[in-house]
Order: sequence, then C-alpha cells, then structure tokens
Amino acid sequence: MSRRWFGLAVAGICLGLLALAAVLAPDRLSEGDPARAWVGVLDLPPFGADDRGRPLTEIALQGARVVAAPAVVAGLLVTLLGVAGGLVRCVGSERVEAVVNVLRDIVGALPRMVVILVVALVMPLDWRGLGVLAVVWALLAAPGAMDEAAAVAGRLGGARFVEALRAHGFSRTRIYLWHIVGLNLRPVVVRQGAETLMQVVFLEIALSYLALDAMQPSFTHSDSTKSWADLLYLGYSSLVLDVPSIHALILGLGLVGVTALLSMALGHAARAR
Amino acid sequence: MKRWWAQPLVRVLVALALPAAVPALITALIWLLPGDPASIICPPEICGGTDGLAARWNLDRGPVHFYRSWVSGALAGDMGNSWRVLQGVPVRQLLDAAVPNTVLLILLATTPLLLASVAAGVGWLPRRLDPAFQAMGLVPAVVLALVAAAAVLLRYGADAHGDQAAFIRLLLGALVLGVADGALSGAVVGVRGVFDRERTQPYVLVGLLRGEGELGNMLPNVAGSLAGQLRARLLHLLSGAVVVEAVLRIDGLGDLLWRATILQDFGLVLAAATGFAVVSSVLLLLQALVEVVVAWHVRRAPLLPAEVAS
Repeated sequence: MSRRWFGLAVAGICLGLLALAAVLAPDRLSEGDPARAWVGVLDLPPFGADDRGRPLTEIALQGARVVAAPAVVAGLLVTLLGVAGGLVRCVGSERVEAVVNVLRDIVGALPRMVVILVVALVMPLDWRGLGVLAVVWALLAAPGAMDEAAAVAGRLGGARFVEALRAHGFSRTRIYLWHIVGLNLRPVVVRQGAETLMQVVFLEIALSYLALDAMQPSFTHSDSTKSWADLLYLGYSSLVLDVPSIHALILGLGLVGVTALLSMALGHAARAR
Repeated sequence: MKRWWAQPLVRVLVALALPAAVPALITALIWLLPGDPASIICPPEICGGTDGLAARWNLDRGPVHFYRSWVSGALAGDMGNSWRVLQGVPVRQLLDAAVPNTVLLILLATTPLLLASVAAGVGWLPRRLDPAFQAMGLVPAVVLALVAAAAVLLRYGADAHGDQAAFIRLLLGALVLGVADGALSGAVVGVRGVFDRERTQPYVLVGLLRGEGELGNMLPNVAGSLAGQLRARLLHLLSGAVVVEAVLRIDGLGDLLWRATILQDFGLVLAAATGFAVVSSVLLLLQALVEVVVAWHVRRAPLLPAEVAS
C-alpha cells in the first residue's frame, strides 16, 4: 500500500469513527449507578464509568457530537479559502492581491484566542455552541492558508503558468481545478484544513475544560451535554488526588491522539504522490 | 520592489488603527446583536436591575457615547472598575498587576524558539529532529498545561500558591507555550524553509564562488520573512497564553481575559482585549520597521571595488 493510500485509509477510519460516534451520541446521559462509580474498563467495558457510575462511552460519544460538524466545517472553510488565495495569485491581478494582503494583515493582527473570547462574550445565550466559534477560528486561520497557497502558486509562475497551459490548449476550468488546485495546491490546502479541524477540536477541549474548572457553563455546548474536556477533567483528579479515574484520563488523551492522527493522516495523504 | 513602501505602510496604518478599532468593534458588536446591550452583557435571568446597570455602565445613551466615554477614560488611564471579576477594583490596577507576568511568560517562551530558529537557520539543528519537534507540537497546550499544573501541585502541595511555586508555574508555563500547539516545530520548520528556499537562489551561489559568506548574503533578503514569522509566533504565543495562564493559575493578561469572559465582565474584557491590541500594534510596527530598514539596505546600490568591477 502506498503512503498516500495508507494515509487516506487512516484518515478515513478516524473520520468515520468521529462521524459514527457523533451519530450514535445519546441526547442525555443515562442515570448511572452510584454503586458503579469509577469502575474500570474490565467491570464496565469498553471504557469504564465516571463518578456517578455512568459509562464513559456516553461522554465520549457526546463529545464527538459537539466537535464533529463544526470542526469539519471549519476545516473545509479554510481549505476553500486557501484555494481562493492560490487562485487569486494565478489570476495575476495586483489590485485584488493588494486587497487580500490588507485583509490578511487586519484579520491576522490579533491573537486568535482573544478574538474567540470576545465573540464568546458577545454571543447571545441561544446562539451558544461551537459552530460560531469554529467559523470564526477558521476565518482567523484562513489568511495563513491563503498566504501559503499563494506562495505555492507564485512559485509555479502565477499568471504565466496559466498562460503557458492555455498555449498548450487546456481549458481554463481544467487548468484552475486540476493543474493548479488538484496537483499543486492540494497538499497545502488539505494540510491547512486538517490542521484547522484539529485546532477546533482542541479549542473546544480548552474552552470547556476552563469553563469546568471555573464551574461555569461552557461556551461550546449546553449544560446537559458533556464534552471530551469532561474526560480530562475527571481524569486530572487521578493525578493530584487519590481518585481512581485514570481510565477517564487515558480515554480523553486517546481521543486527543485520534484527532491528531486524523489531521496528520490527512496531511500525509494529500502530500504523498 | 517598485512599491516597496506599500506593505510597511499598510502595517503601520493597521497598527495605528488597531487599539482604537478593537474597542470600537466590540462596542459595535454589542449594539448590532439582537436585543438590548445591557441584557446581552448581563442577561436579566442572571442579573437583576438591568436598567440601573445600563446607566452605571454608560450603556444607556447609545454606542457612540459609550465608546467615546470609554476611550477618553482609557487615554487618561482610567478604564473604569471591574464589573464582576473583582467588583469595584479599578481595571487599570488589575492590568498593571497582570501585564508584567504575561510579558515575562512570553519572553521566557520566546527564548528557546529564537535559539531553535537561529540553530535551524544556520544549519546547526539536525533535520532528523524535525519529526520529533512536529510530534511534540501535536500535543495541545491544555493537555501539557494540565500535566505541568499536576506536577506543581504534587511537588508543592499546600504551598502550590506560594511565591516559589508561582515562579515554577511561570517557567513551566513558558515551556508549555514554547512546545505545545506546534510553536517550536513551526519556528524550526518555518525558518529552515525560508533559508532552504533562499539557498537555491543564483546570487547566493555566485556569492559563494566569490568567496563571500552564505549567511551574510542571504540575511538581508530573508529578514522581512523572518520578521513576519517572528510576529506570527509571538501572536501564537499570546493566543496560547490565555489557556496556559488560566490552567496554571498564572496571574497574567490571558488569565484576566478568560476570567472576565467567563464571568461576563464586559469592562474588563474591553480593557484586556485592547491591551492585546496594543501589543499586536507594537509587533506590527516592529515588523514594518524591519521591512523598511531591509528595503533601504537592499536598494542601496552596492559599491563594487574597482578590481571586482573590472
């Protein structure tokens, strides 16, 4: 199996697991059984139970539902904007490029987390969810992707590359979609999209963890829903207190690892020729 | 190179506008969203007496009045009092206590990044280490910060909030910031990439044939890119500082912004976000300055010695 197909297979499995978990997630956690609090993976397979005896599987599934759609949308948005950035360079319009550069400087001027927190603050209560924050994060990440895609297009020769292929008789559609996007921009924009997907998942974990720590409602999901941050929060107790919750920590870290693996595999699949 | 001044000029203009634009944008957002601003900031189901609060917070006479009164106060050094985080305490006092810690944290986190960047640029850092840096960079800041927080708590126990533990938390925070979320790997791979691309340029090879140094020839041409990368890294660190400071309980600007956001302390968020905007402006101005200096240096016609010219 080539590296490309191996990467695609791994990415497909990870993405499939994420989507399946999101679909299978229960709307509400089960009541639980206090007698089974903190039971391990052998007593309540596959992942054990939390402090109220509820299966950790349910928390993992709900967490997947919180992040799956917003993260994928954010990744796709960055990919599309990256493609746009590359194509703008190939069109060869200095004016358009200048406007894009100014917008890039403005959008990229502030630390992303500051913007995210400001948006979270002004977001009305009924709009709360990861979706809006993920789109904002994608818009903030887009200038970097556009810049890198434009650099790749620039190295190709920009507008001269298009002219040269036109001279060979290729149609504009084929040149832009296949030669530029499909063959040259693909590694960059797919990697950027995959990284944004991963960053949105990590953003959700960070925001939810900090909200849990401050005993406040999360910006990213309703109070009745748990996220992967809950697993880390439960598991952290095993590090500093004598709480037998190490299985929650391992599950939480495992899910972080799967997300990172998904991002890496997508990047590798897009890069390998 | 015809309009070499255009990009630095844009950066200077953005830098000048940013500290005023950020509070303006936040104010505009509050008024553009459906509903009464005071109710958005402090929903009636959470706080009572919204009308009274609106009058106290200058929210009752429109966005322009609110913005003007806040900016004029801020220019005079008065950013009002905290609404929720530490009710009644002047925001300026909170910022004065927080900013030095954040600056120290960022400086400590930047040092290894700069050293690694220099080592990567001049080729001292072996390429085979890149996958290790990249693997480290995949770990999210929140996870590494949790490990660091647990280590401090286990080591210091009841003294975990003492001065010595606070210093250790700062050091560990800087380490987390410098390594997590791809900060170190981004710096190493980014700088190496810039130098690798430049090395293939004909002028570098010609310079080598003349017996000149490779780095001396390349540096003026890559300085602009490196300045841009450094600014991006610093912004990345500032962004990560919010999470790291909040998890490790470092009393910095990021932690203040987080607490203000989660407790809906609008006045403090406005001030902290503007503080971040000022830092971003300074970084933009520095990048513009580097670009101008480099452009002048590069555009100066090199005077060739007579024996070389002949």
